[in-house]
Amino acid sequence: MPQKTVVEVNNLKKTYYMPGGMSQNVLKGVSFQIEEGEFVAIMGHSGSGKSTLMNTLGCLDRPTSGTYLLDGKEISKLSDEELALVRGRTLGFVFQNFNLLMKRTIADNVSLPLLYQGISKTQMYTRAKAMLEKVGLAGYENRIPNQLSGGMQQRVAIARALINNPKIILADEPTGNLDSQTSDEIMTFFQSLNKQGITIILVTHEPDVAMYAKRLIRIADGVVEYDGSVKEYMERQHV
Amino acid sequence: MFNLIFSEAWISITAYKMRTFLTTLGIMIGVAAVVLMVAVGQTVQNVIDESFESMGGNLLIVLPGASTSGGVRTAMGRPTVSRQDMDSIKELKDVLTTSYATQSGVQAVYGKNNWSVNAMGTTPDYLDVGNWEIDRGIMFTERDLKSAASYVVLGQTVVDELFGFEDPIGKSVRLQNIPFLVIGTLKSKGPGLTGDDQDNLIMMPFSTLRQKIRGARQPQMVSIGFVKVNSENKLDTVLQRVTYLLRARHHLKDTEDDDFTIRNMAELVEQVKKVGFYLSLLLAAIASISLIVGSIGIMNMMLVSVTERTREIGTRKALGAPNRWIMIQFLVESILISFMGSLMGLVIGITTSQIGGYIFEKEVPISIWTVILSFSVAVIVGVVSGLFPAIKAMKLDPIDALRYQ
Repeated sequence: MPQKTVVEVNNLKKTYYMPGGMSQNVLKGVSFQIEEGEFVAIMGHSGSGKSTLMNTLGCLDRPTSGTYLLDGKEISKLSDEELALVRGRTLGFVFQNFNLLMKRTIADNVSLPLLYQGISKTQMYTRAKAMLEKVGLAGYENRIPNQLSGGMQQRVAIARALINNPKIILADEPTGNLDSQTSDEIMTFFQSLNKQGITIILVTHEPDVAMYAKRLIRIADGVVEYDGSVKEYMERQHV
Repeated sequence: MFNLIFSEAWISITAYKMRTFLTTLGIMIGVAAVVLMVAVGQTVQNVIDESFESMGGNLLIVLPGASTSGGVRTAMGRPTVSRQDMDSIKELKDVLTTSYATQSGVQAVYGKNNWSVNAMGTTPDYLDVGNWEIDRGIMFTERDLKSAASYVVLGQTVVDELFGFEDPIGKSVRLQNIPFLVIGTLKSKGPGLTGDDQDNLIMMPFSTLRQKIRGARQPQMVSIGFVKVNSENKLDTVLQRVTYLLRARHHLKDTEDDDFTIRNMAELVEQVKKVGFYLSLLLAAIASISLIVGSIGIMNMMLVSVTERTREIGTRKALGAPNRWIMIQFLVESILISFMGSLMGLVIGITTSQIGGYIFEKEVPISIWTVILSFSVAVIVGVVSGLFPAIKAMKLDPIDALRYQ
């Protein structure tokens, strides 16, 4: 089966200009491709440019130069409004601190991305219900986030990320606020999603978490330091 | 799409019930104050209108004596206008009728009852000129005026005080120990502009008053003359004609000032109405200060809300919310708060003004303009106080907003 490229970044550079004429090159020419169905972990120390790369991949930020093709579409030159549209249709976000709306029901939270797609309220609810069933939270539709455990809240966030059938799931330290047992649970869940063919990009600094992925892209000082199998990298580290 | 934004906004503001309620309170008090003040102003104007109407429209009033003489204010009331003057004015073009009167305070007695009353000597046409109506019986006639008949027509207060439930027609009342036959009663007019009791009055022929109650060195002279004109826009021309006629009759030289004063009632009404209008405007302006304060309250609350919900805004943007949508949602939240406040304020304002009207026995109008005004104010206040916070929310960078703690 010929694999389809969903992410293609070429010589991606990002420079932050600070007041007083100072500038800082955070990304110094990053290139890689991600095929459909991959499970990629992006690792790197803080200050390595990992977050900037993540924001760019998440269409929250534009590169200073270079190209970024998402699902075959060049997005580095899009306007804010167009970027919002791309985020809503092709991406699913999972955050470290879940970022659920605490005053809203679980169903409202899960269906939030559909709100901006012009889908009717009843349809939103039906799809949220179906998605909650998929993440093992059937019957929790009308609860509020505070009534759920951290692991359950993160599953709500995953359901929210999946509801618009995104091309990629972007998970930014998804286990950062969870205990190790719940972390394993969530990562296993990500693995099972990946087995169903969903492309996942995971940003983490924990090797244990990265182990759940198949491929590792390690960023250091604004460039790709390693790109390959997670296992090989880990084995090399342990020698 | 709009119903979705609307429901998002509604859920967001109802999530913080206490805060939303307190914010609406500011607008509520402002709108209630404006509604109440406008109602007070309009009621005052209505009272003024009614009082003037009860005095009769299209009227010129002729007073003896000059208001100024050679640029100096002089005492008015020197008898200069006579019954004959007033009768001759009746012949002028565009004059419907004239009347005149003089008054005297007397003590009226019927049986054991005793009442202090205003006796008015006048002509039968005074009914028409002064907007009076006969309740029971009849008015005296021109013939009674010529013969100085001892007939009286009683105001409602006099009827109540002297006769109670007895029928006064055909009875005899004593004024200064002279008996007078009651031939009619007047319909009640209620209190006048200054709150005086217009119904505490006894009418009798002018000549009767002069001969039997209060004589004068010049018995033909009147205290006040009335000229009823056939239409409002003829008032000025008739005023000119009356002036010429009286100057001629009084043999005044060109260099001499008028020895009488003519007042145009319609003009006076206009002036008092203007005062009433500015009064209501002033009241509304003072009340709208509280609206401004309420509006600042909304802006403050929305700014707090944007800061507090920074992460929510970041999340919404990451999940695909266009900037436009974020801005409109916050704007709608602010308009909703303002709108609810206005609605409550309108209800409270109208209720209070109606209760006030009930207590003071005045009819308080509910004007459609008050309703339209308060809703326009609601939308304007909502937009004005919500715009800045909404733009702030719109401009938040999703990356920073998501990182916000």
